[in-house]
Amino acid sequence: MKQLTNLGSEAGKHIILIIGAIVVILPFYLMLSFSFKSPAEIQSISGGFFGAQEMMIDRKCLKTESEGLMRSKEECSMLPIVYNYKAAFEEAPLLRYLLNGVIVTLSIFAIQVIIALPCAYALAKLNFWGRDVVFGLVIFCLLIPVHAIALPLYLMLAKFGLTNTFAALIIPWTISVFGIFLMRQFFKTVPDDLINAARMDGMSEFSIVWKVMLPTAIPALLAFAIFSVVAHWNDYYWPRIVITGDQDLMTPPLGLRMFKSDMDGNEYGPMMAAATVIVAPLVVAFLLAQRRFIEGITLTGMKSR
Amino acid sequence: MAGIELKGISKSFEKNEVIKSLNLMIENGEFITIVGPSGCGKSTLLRIIAGLESQSNGDVIIDGREVNNIKASNRDLAMVFQSYALYPHLTVLQNLMVPLKLRRMSTLERFPIINWFFPNRRSKIDKLKESVLQASETLQIEHLLGRKPGQLSGGQQQRVAVGRAMVREPVAFLMDEPLSNLDAALRVHMRAEISELHRKLKTTFVYVTHDQAEALTMSDRMAVMMDGEILQLDTPSEIYNKPASLRVAEFIGSPKINVLPAESNEKGDIDCMGISMSLSIKDNKNEKILVGIRPEHTNLLQDNKKNCFLGEVNHKENLGSDIYLHVTLKDSQQKMIIRSNPDISFNTKIGEIIRIGFDNNKVMIFNESGQNLNKKS
Amino acid sequence: MSNTRSHIWFVSPAVLLMFLILILPVFVAGTFSFTDYNLGSPDFKWVGWKNYESLGKFSSYKKMFTASLTYVVIVVPVSVLLGLGSAMLISSLRFGGELYKTVFFLPVMATLLAMAYAWEFTLDPVIGVINKFLDDGCSVGWFYKLFTGSWLGFNPTESWYGELCNDRMPNWLGNKKYALGSISFIGIWQAFGFNMVLYLAGLTSVPRDLYAAAEMDGANSPWEKFKLVTWPMLGPTHVFVVTITSIRSFQVFDTVEALTRGGPSKSTYMMVYAMFEKGVKQNLVGMGSALTIVFLGFVLILTLTQVYFINRKVHYS
Repeated sequence: MKQLTNLGSEAGKHIILIIGAIVVILPFYLMLSFSFKSPAEIQSISGGFFGAQEMMIDRKCLKTESEGLMRSKEECSMLPIVYNYKAAFEEAPLLRYLLNGVIVTLSIFAIQVIIALPCAYALAKLNFWGRDVVFGLVIFCLLIPVHAIALPLYLMLAKFGLTNTFAALIIPWTISVFGIFLMRQFFKTVPDDLINAARMDGMSEFSIVWKVMLPTAIPALLAFAIFSVVAHWNDYYWPRIVITGDQDLMTPPLGLRMFKSDMDGNEYGPMMAAATVIVAPLVVAFLLAQRRFIEGITLTGMKSR
Repeated sequence: MAGIELKGISKSFEKNEVIKSLNLMIENGEFITIVGPSGCGKSTLLRIIAGLESQSNGDVIIDGREVNNIKASNRDLAMVFQSYALYPHLTVLQNLMVPLKLRRMSTLERFPIINWFFPNRRSKIDKLKESVLQASETLQIEHLLGRKPGQLSGGQQQRVAVGRAMVREPVAFLMDEPLSNLDAALRVHMRAEISELHRKLKTTFVYVTHDQAEALTMSDRMAVMMDGEILQLDTPSEIYNKPASLRVAEFIGSPKINVLPAESNEKGDIDCMGISMSLSIKDNKNEKILVGIRPEHTNLLQDNKKNCFLGEVNHKENLGSDIYLHVTLKDSQQKMIIRSNPDISFNTKIGEIIRIGFDNNKVMIFNESGQNLNKKS
Repeated sequence: MSNTRSHIWFVSPAVLLMFLILILPVFVAGTFSFTDYNLGSPDFKWVGWKNYESLGKFSSYKKMFTASLTYVVIVVPVSVLLGLGSAMLISSLRFGGELYKTVFFLPVMATLLAMAYAWEFTLDPVIGVINKFLDDGCSVGWFYKLFTGSWLGFNPTESWYGELCNDRMPNWLGNKKYALGSISFIGIWQAFGFNMVLYLAGLTSVPRDLYAAAEMDGANSPWEKFKLVTWPMLGPTHVFVVTITSIRSFQVFDTVEALTRGGPSKSTYMMVYAMFEKGVKQNLVGMGSALTIVFLGFVLILTLTQVYFINRKVHYS
């Protein structure tokens, strides 16, 4: 009897969670489905998830010439899925956007580490005049959300003529007070003896930071890397402000936005194919290393602990 | 107040059987201790009595009533947890009020806002407060009532935990290693206090511990539990003096009992490593056996007697009132621990060869599988 | 410790950048908020409190505050409670918990802008599956009865769903009545998985013994145990989850800019979007700066409230 009611409540919980999961999955499902289907199927909301995959004709292809001749219908017919992804990569510099995304996120993370790690080490393990003041400053800066000061930052960059450059995308994020705070808390747990032993071995403070502290901090650093990369790959607000028009500088979300506004009529398929390509890297990485990702993204939870 | 009876209780987690068809009869008003090494299933057994865990098989009977399908909250038992499990967000007073409110007031009376419509709610709460004050007086924690558990010392938290169990006047108290988080001195003190509380309340106490000293000093009867079974159930002195088996003998008593190999001849006389023990048994003649001698039943001999072991002192533990000598026997390389009077052994040196005598009447005899043979003789 | 001066090299770059990138802009915004400066013009006038006054004067800013606050008031409680609820359900499951956790966390990971477009197409009045589903539901007896409330004896044509069935399904993002609700829905969809993970962590730190003790004390029902143990023991998690969700929902931008641009008729005109529109797009730097300062004030109040609660109310040890 008791087991039966247990089974009943377990089943009830699953039903509620499955309904929730359907709602959560819905836009992902549609995004993928649109990227597979032909315009006709999208318009009529038919074709299930994958669509019928009947050959379709690419109108734009018909208008282009090859070797002085107009292309034939046979040359220009293809599967909807091929059409969508081909259009996504050809009509917009999607690869360029992805590359920009990689360049920007990796440079931001690298600079953040180069600036934050020595500072965190000094705050955690060195005694110097003004240390508490600097740490207070870090805590104070934690209160300032970079979103909020975007406008003055933009004005300052514009004054130096830096808008529409990679520098504009990267500079505001070079200082991560959260990174300093996080690494300082971590370094506090590293025993002093390890550092003293390194000093006895004749290491300079500089090499202690990079050869002793960095390796011990790998797990924390990895979590911070995920936190930082996810935030900046997905960031739309800041690129939207400082990049205007120059497609060669656009990050993936901004590129997608560009694609949407250039889209003629109802190119939902290629549009969602592009969205899929942009969302995929992080989602796939997340599925492969869930625990690390969840740890990394909820890192902000440590601020309050 | 009630007796508790366990009939054929067994419990398995997955395929791992932690309690094996166990029977136990706890008398009304008795202080019973379940003692055993960690992982023997004693805490699980207590949680089964409480109703926090359900048994795989068997019956729990409280006060003549089978309670197998009755929830923990309705068994009218109180429990003191090892971690005390006080609600950290409530003051001591509120902590003590919780069990009373949950039992004596209806859900609606406790529901915020709706409870304004119950005119006699105030007087009810005042009445409950009175019984809390009474209990806190008994435990001398009145001055702590306004504080939160986080602001109390371990000993104070322990008292509050006992208080929470007490205010409800349950039919029996269950205690799960309640003293193991206290420092040594406080533990000895609280042992006495809990015993006194039991004498005052005259309620059934079921006390689980891994500390044999607690079991020996506090209980009316104790059950020695190992590997999911009760090996022996008896008064502390019976268990100490007449352990049913070698395992019990080795678990109860500190330092541990000395166990030496021996054999019986065709007449039943016992010879231990060449020393005739002037002891004999009726059965188990001509067999390899084991003798157990507790450290306090040995002594250091000054003159050469017939029945004595020769051994070299490896280590000396001076406890002030007693000196324990760790000895390796000459011929057999067997290790032994000897308790001796400081007056005699104060200048015994490490490496010295000593002569060891023993009290013949107190020697325990076990067969090779560990059963006590004394009872038969 | 060390006698070297290496700390100067370690600390000064970070301190310099903190001043330049985080602190200086606050003063820049503060200064410009009292001017009529715009980018490109050589000089500017001091205008005193005029910019701040217009925040109270013009209806578009009143609409902005209303929209922002409504959004926060909808998104925070719903996503916090959904996070708590799903965390409690998942942690009590015997199997499959990890799977739900993964699914619910997906929106936190995925690029919000891309997902906003996916939602736009899902909610589209023509090609959207939501409206197709609701349309189809009109002709399914039990579904129609359930959502019109006619199974409770209400008149089906007077209900919200019944009216829609007779007319047509709403334009979720284009209709003033629904736009803010739809944007809030996407906000909730995106945020609750994050809260769930924090609550899951909070739940594992509740000592099991407390539940056993509550049961011994007479807490019969799951509700009693929740009230006595779970809810209060999650105190620090509540404070953190509520503040971070509030701050984040104050910062909502991507969905607004991509889907509604503050419309229709300013019903989704929220603070960060207004800041962007005034300060960057329309080059009204003074106005944008005033908005920046007000926004900073809001965030500061939220954070300080959090700090207060963490230090006072929920400190148990």
